[in-house]
Amino acid sequence: MSLFVVAKSQSGQAPRVSWFRWVTPANAACVVFFPFKERAGVDIQRPRRGRLLQSAEHLTGMADEALFEFLHMEMVSHVYKEQQSSKGEMDNKDRAICISVLESMGFRVGQGLIERLTKDSPSFKDELDIMKFVCKDFWTKVFRRQVDNLRTNHQGTYVLQDNKFVLLTQLSSGKQYLDQAPKYLAFSCGVVRGALCNLGLESVVTAEVSIMPSCKFQVVIQKL
Amino acid sequence: MTVHNLYIFDRNGNCLYYNEWNRKKQAGISKEEEFKLMYGMLFSIRSFVSKMSPLDMKDGFLSFQTSRYRLHYYETPSGLKFVLNTDLSVSNARDTLQHIYSNLYVELVVKNPVCPPSLSLDSELFSSRLDVFIRSLPYYSPRAA
Repeated sequence: MSLFVVAKSQSGQAPRVSWFRWVTPANAACVVFFPFKERAGVDIQRPRRGRLLQSAEHLTGMADEALFEFLHMEMVSHVYKEQQSSKGEMDNKDRAICISVLESMGFRVGQGLIERLTKDSPSFKDELDIMKFVCKDFWTKVFRRQVDNLRTNHQGTYVLQDNKFVLLTQLSSGKQYLDQAPKYLAFSCGVVRGALCNLGLESVVTAEVSIMPSCKFQVVIQKL
Repeated sequence: MTVHNLYIFDRNGNCLYYNEWNRKKQAGISKEEEFKLMYGMLFSIRSFVSKMSPLDMKDGFLSFQTSRYRLHYYETPSGLKFVLNTDLSVSNARDTLQHIYSNLYVELVVKNPVCPPSLSLDSELFSSRLDVFIRSLPYYSPRAA
């Protein structure tokens, strides 16, 4: 049976490091560090605990997905709260700053991820090959499904359409919360941009949503 | 065979969600009063049950029944309370309530970044999925027995 102990972060302070300690059946201990902040009023550990106490085979799968999703939610809300703390209202400039902060976080993550994911694959023939790799293998590893539709004008612009984007499925399945969707896509745009950058393609990635959870990522390759 | 209505309360007694499918008679008081009444009753009955229990208590209060309906209760470790009123043919709705919690509430509300905790649930996705789920239950039918 697996047991885990969590030290709660102290409320009212900036995000602190909390730790999990797993005692596996083989009695090997492994320590995982990651920062998180308690959401006001609700202990976010609780729903995860219910799932983590299921059978051991499901443990790693479920825990990984939920961990990233919760962390991403908190990241977005933290960035927006930080920007808002100086003044009462958020204007468009503030919103743009928040989006670019999230995007640059994603950029760095994408760069690292692509190194890891392509360390064993052969080099790519051309741009289209790279985009196909991003749509299939990369999307599967990062977002747990493949891109549904890839369109291009063969002149450096690609549109990747994902009909059930994993970070939007919990939000709504229609038009509700449509105005909040861009916040949760900024990080993913950055991940794609970072991945392409380390594969040798400078690009600009934007995302648009018309009906949740389907969204389109537009990649424009910058020719040097 | 039918489901009458469902309440979801949070740890502090706020009613997060209420929906009804087959309610023929209203309580005669406003909705806020009705929620307060329901929560107060649950709170009192839980402490009563634990005090007066002649044996060590395992799960505590589970359900009560009258001659027309049965009320099922499920409380999560995080203090969320799910209350389901059904007719008498349903003996145990604990699994249903547990499914609503783990597969619908946790997936669609806790993981929804725009649904702040401790406020009324606005998510249409949650409403529609819950509705579909309730209507698909084997003991649900649009007309009360």
